[in-house]
Amino acid sequence: MKRIHIAVLDDSFVICEGLQSVFSRFSFIQRLTHASSIEELECLLKKSFCHIVIINPQFVQSFQSEFLKLKSQFICVKWIGIVYSHFSNEILSKLDGTIDVFDSQENISNKLLKWVRTPNDDKTTQQNKDTLSEREIDVLKLLAEGKSNKEIADNLNISINTVITHRKNISQKTGIKSVSGLTIYAVVQNYISLDNY
Amino acid sequence: MIKKTNDIHSNSKISEEIINNPFLMLLLQHFQITVPVQDLKVSQLCKLYNINETLFIAFARLYNGSTAIPELKLDHNEALTIVDFLRTSHRFYSEQIYPEIMELIDEMKQLNSYKEMKLVSVFFSNYFQEVTDHLDYENDVFHPYVIDLVNQLNNRKRTENKEIYSTLNYKDHHDDIEEKLTDLKNLLVKYLPLQKDQVVRRKLLFLLSELEFDLKIHTDIEELILIPFTMRLEEKLKLIEK
Repeated sequence: MKRIHIAVLDDSFVICEGLQSVFSRFSFIQRLTHASSIEELECLLKKSFCHIVIINPQFVQSFQSEFLKLKSQFICVKWIGIVYSHFSNEILSKLDGTIDVFDSQENISNKLLKWVRTPNDDKTTQQNKDTLSEREIDVLKLLAEGKSNKEIADNLNISINTVITHRKNISQKTGIKSVSGLTIYAVVQNYISLDNY
Repeated sequence: MIKKTNDIHSNSKISEEIINNPFLMLLLQHFQITVPVQDLKVSQLCKLYNINETLFIAFARLYNGSTAIPELKLDHNEALTIVDFLRTSHRFYSEQIYPEIMELIDEMKQLNSYKEMKLVSVFFSNYFQEVTDHLDYENDVFHPYVIDLVNQLNNRKRTENKEIYSTLNYKDHHDDIEEKLTDLKNLLVKYLPLQKDQVVRRKLLFLLSELEFDLKIHTDIEELILIPFTMRLEEKLKLIEK
């Protein structure tokens, strides 16, 4: 089963604790992190790959341009609103979906799984073997930013040897060895946005 | 289908060898041999163009896929033939094939609206610059060194500053210039979104493969033939001095 990573952007303690409690019942959620500002979220996303960001639509409304910029930078992330008060359709349409505080546990679980489902999920094991792991994607993104092996290791809290192993695996799976070639690959696969380059 | 045989020899008909492996046309071009070659045998062709037959056969075997090159018994002046061959191939890269590839990439860029093509164009330009630097280094530093080495042997006299540079410096400096071509081929075949560029993409892939093949042989000639040969010449020069 796919193990998904989620980040939550909300400044309400009750909502964050509530989401954590609900998500702890889902075995497919591997990591849940929390941010209380757009800036904090940006740092978090740069540091490690997330499948889904659950965001209070109030942040979208109040920091629209910052939100849209961030969304364009991380286009493979699903941006989901956690709705517990009224927001206009215009604001909600900027998101990829919503979770309502009145949704059932089953409903939330189905929605999360639907949002992270990719065409690759239905393909063969061989194809999965050639698909980059989430950690490899994290390494690839930092590599494309021009970071050295040491900087990547520090950033992800792993050893330089682990970074080198990830890099070898990335090149083996993609057939691309140079950093500039891997940067193009990362853009084509939507792991990074072209606007940053 | 390309059929390569490694056992090219004096009596092989060069035309038959080319039909079996058309990449040998590149060998001819770098030796500045023109076609048609009629029914000439390797030995006749070499005589006609005043090319050392042993050297020609060794190069041809590399083009036919062999990397098992024995130590060649060559006169030291043959180092100049090797340098000439390599310099002619440098001109082929910088004046012919790279501009052709760049043209096709520009064509692909015009056909495709997606932004990644701009990155591909920058990728190849940067790569071309790296290759140019590599070729410039050989043209400006290593090849003049080899020519000078041959001159010293012909004059049986060593010149000043002889210890500053040697083949070992070149060996250390020698880097892989084919890697990014393989990257580009993978991007073209596996990842770059397809729009209306099927024909241009095919042409580009063929050119990249031709360049990749020739660069590989070029590196083999340098590493398997020229470097060991010049190292032997350096030893020979030391003996003459004693």
